[in-house]
Amino acid sequence: MTNIILLNPEIILACAGLLILLAGAFIGENRAKLLYHLGTISAAAVLGMIITQAAFSAYGTGTMWILDPGAQLFKFVILVATILTLLLSVNYSAIQPRHIGTYTALLLWASCGMMFLSGAMDLIYLLISLELISISCFILTGFEQKNPRSAEGAIKYFLMGSLSTAVTVYGISLFYGATGTTNLLAYASAADLHLSDPAYIMGMLFILVGFGFKISMVPFHFWAPDAYEGAPTPVTAYLSVASKLAALGAMLRIFTVVIPHGSLNLTLIIAVLAALTMTLGNLTALFQTNIKRLLAYSSIAQAGYMLIGLVVADPLGREGVLFYSLAYLVTNMGAFAVAMVVAGKTGSYELDAYNGLARRSLGLSIVMVMFLLSLAGIPPLAGFVAKFYVFSSAVNSQHYLWLAVLGVLNSVVSVYYYMNIARRMFFTERKDFSAVETDIYTTGVIVFTSAATLLMGLLPQTCMRIVKDCVSFHL
Amino acid sequence: MSLLSLIVFTPLAGALLILAIPGTRTKTIQGAALAATSLCMLLSGYLYFAFDKTTAAMQFVERLPWIPAFNINYYMGADGLSVAIVILTALLTLLSTIYSFNITLRVKEFFFWFLLLEAGMLGVFVSLDFFLFYVFWELTLVPMYFLIGVWGGPKKEYAAIKFFLYTLFGSLFMLLGMLALYFNSAPHTFDMLELARQGSLLPLNMQIWIFLALYLGFAIKIPAFPFHTWLPLAHVEAPTGVSVILAGVLLKMGTYGIMRVSFPVLPAATKWFLPFLIVIAVINIVYGAFCAMAQKDLKKMVAYSSINHMGYCMLGMTAMTAIGFNGAVMQMITHGLITGSLFLLVGVIYDRAHTRDIDAFGGLAARFPVYAGLMIIQVMASLGLPGLAGFVGEFLCFLGAFPAWPWYVAVSTIGIIVTAAFFLRMIEKVFLGPFNEKWAGLKDMNFRELVAIVPLAVLTLVIGIWPRFCLDLIDPTITYLASMMK
Repeated sequence: MTNIILLNPEIILACAGLLILLAGAFIGENRAKLLYHLGTISAAAVLGMIITQAAFSAYGTGTMWILDPGAQLFKFVILVATILTLLLSVNYSAIQPRHIGTYTALLLWASCGMMFLSGAMDLIYLLISLELISISCFILTGFEQKNPRSAEGAIKYFLMGSLSTAVTVYGISLFYGATGTTNLLAYASAADLHLSDPAYIMGMLFILVGFGFKISMVPFHFWAPDAYEGAPTPVTAYLSVASKLAALGAMLRIFTVVIPHGSLNLTLIIAVLAALTMTLGNLTALFQTNIKRLLAYSSIAQAGYMLIGLVVADPLGREGVLFYSLAYLVTNMGAFAVAMVVAGKTGSYELDAYNGLARRSLGLSIVMVMFLLSLAGIPPLAGFVAKFYVFSSAVNSQHYLWLAVLGVLNSVVSVYYYMNIARRMFFTERKDFSAVETDIYTTGVIVFTSAATLLMGLLPQTCMRIVKDCVSFHL
Repeated sequence: MSLLSLIVFTPLAGALLILAIPGTRTKTIQGAALAATSLCMLLSGYLYFAFDKTTAAMQFVERLPWIPAFNINYYMGADGLSVAIVILTALLTLLSTIYSFNITLRVKEFFFWFLLLEAGMLGVFVSLDFFLFYVFWELTLVPMYFLIGVWGGPKKEYAAIKFFLYTLFGSLFMLLGMLALYFNSAPHTFDMLELARQGSLLPLNMQIWIFLALYLGFAIKIPAFPFHTWLPLAHVEAPTGVSVILAGVLLKMGTYGIMRVSFPVLPAATKWFLPFLIVIAVINIVYGAFCAMAQKDLKKMVAYSSINHMGYCMLGMTAMTAIGFNGAVMQMITHGLITGSLFLLVGVIYDRAHTRDIDAFGGLAARFPVYAGLMIIQVMASLGLPGLAGFVGEFLCFLGAFPAWPWYVAVSTIGIIVTAAFFLRMIEKVFLGPFNEKWAGLKDMNFRELVAIVPLAVLTLVIGIWPRFCLDLIDPTITYLASMMK
């Protein structure tokens, strides 16, 4: 354990979680919201650490973990998502004051697990991080005790999640049986002797399935809509962004850099799964009447687009995935923030609640349209540049042009349901003209995410440079 | 000097300004919209005089690195082709802004989207970087969706989403074609002029696929048969001012794109596709004319006549000669002026009578002389009466295409005859014959409507009598373009 110092940010975050949990036991209910702010501050402090470390472009390896710009980028994404989630939670009424300490602590620990995951270089370490994420997220999903949907979502998530963990563990055991190690770094430097060993390929396939659950890849996506619908909205946003992107980051590292899926002959399988993920996600989203379910299916489809870059796996494709992650982070967080605000006013997550919103709050509606268009990939927004990036990698590869064509067709389909919300906001009338108020925290989140969505679309060069640096970095 | 940026971003600034004005202050909002579009028109007018009309080179060029990672530049420039359409765009937007002062529903949003739309359209016509072109291209989509969907007719929601999906479908394939061009150029570039320089090096097979992808995007905009089905719906459902922009400018984005990108960048594929293009052009002409003839609704008739007129434009393009190209561009301009004013005129009568049924009127000429006069001028121009603007474009298109495709041109003349037939029949039913007393209480055109329509009528006459006023502007560019296709 020579390089435990590399894990300082995670350790600090975990300790902060413990302290907040402890503080939650003693703090009065009327002042419990302070705990959210403590959580935000600790996450922000750790984010600061990550950013300064990235500036040094220092790296190192422990025996089990790695610190490189790619891992740092995903830690950045996770922490930003955590901060935004905590800010959204402040005025979310369904969380009881006496549970705020637990809630915040769990959120920080889940983030901690995700940060571990993004630097994982050993399968055991990877498994532990996955479990840390899963267990925290199961509880968070079921946090609305009065809401049976929340419990239902949590149970489904839990059952599916444990199944996926079991499959992953089985995969790891097969991998160990075939290679004699669980350490990916040792493996990468050791031998390619086992490449044709079926147990080894089987093992990798099972590990892929485990990741598939986390990023809600079809056909392992069934938990997502129920869990997303039931979970408290800030947690839904968190699950759809942080949890998905962290797993995607680890998947990207393992399946394109450490053990390229091409060498496993798994490329075609992943390509087909990517195609299915975006198509099924979009087609099912067409029929949703609940905004959280709609965004759940949309986020499944988004995972499909991201997987295109992973399938192509060349530097351009990997850069595409990283850029997509950044764009998706701000866009999806923003969309959920608006959904939360609207539901806070109307008390409903049904799409009907959006009828005539433009007459009530024009600004909010325009911002929501912006998020939706960004998700659909219309310029000049972040989502467009992200899609442009992954599609261009597919076109460049020639081999996966069909994925780009399918992605394009899917984008057209997706516009229908995204614009359906815009239609309700702008085209339909409603008697109630009272404005939808937002509190300072949610306003902050919405302003930040919308500005970032626009800026990443108009001036993507900075982000592109960062992702290029991440991809071109080699240990 | 960054004149082009100024032209493109003036409307955008206006749009943002309008967003900041409280929605209840209608007059201020209208004033701001008028100011922004007028300023834009003035700048475009200045462009006409500052433009060196003797050369085909790009002028007013601006080039700044934008996304160096993909070698994407903020690259704008204008040649004769761009300048002509930029002026058309600025003019039509100004006039339809004036016309749209009669809109009372959600005025703030209307002008916000309207100005955003103008910025997008202008950007398309001055971009020399394909990526920038694409961004502006898509930027026109969203405002148009809302303009149709909120302020449109009874079937507005369906029309809006159909327009959006149809166009997006095409433009996303255009995006793929664009990416294919990018990755097959060395060094990788989105620079249209550079692509045109390198384009002929691509193998024919690949050119054909790329051409097809780009064509899908452009053809849906034109709209070329069989991708025209969105047009009648969108044009009819859109509010008058927006129909003007749809017909007058948005359709030209398709033909402009083909002339600016597809032809010079993929010359071999163009030659390969010519036999198909000419067939599509003829179908557009004849089928569009017959469809127009079958309509009872004035606005639908004008909408279908647009399909027919864009057919002439494509016919001129397939000539592959300077005459044909000149004709095509003239057709783009004159169609914008004529059809734009026809939509405005249809709007005028619809605002009063709340019907557009041709059979519902009769004898209007006696009671509404000004209206009838303007309508008759524009209808005559549209059916190609010599001495009016429409004739110049159509004649050049036919003249250019005849040496290469005599039989197709012969078939196309059916389109002219049918156009004449349905327009004259319309004049007869609406303006001549016994007066329908039901409309006795209606008033002739008011000042706002005259301000919006008279300039277009004047231009129709001026270009008809003195086409060099326009042709001199575009000819050097077009001659150069045609020489590239040899």
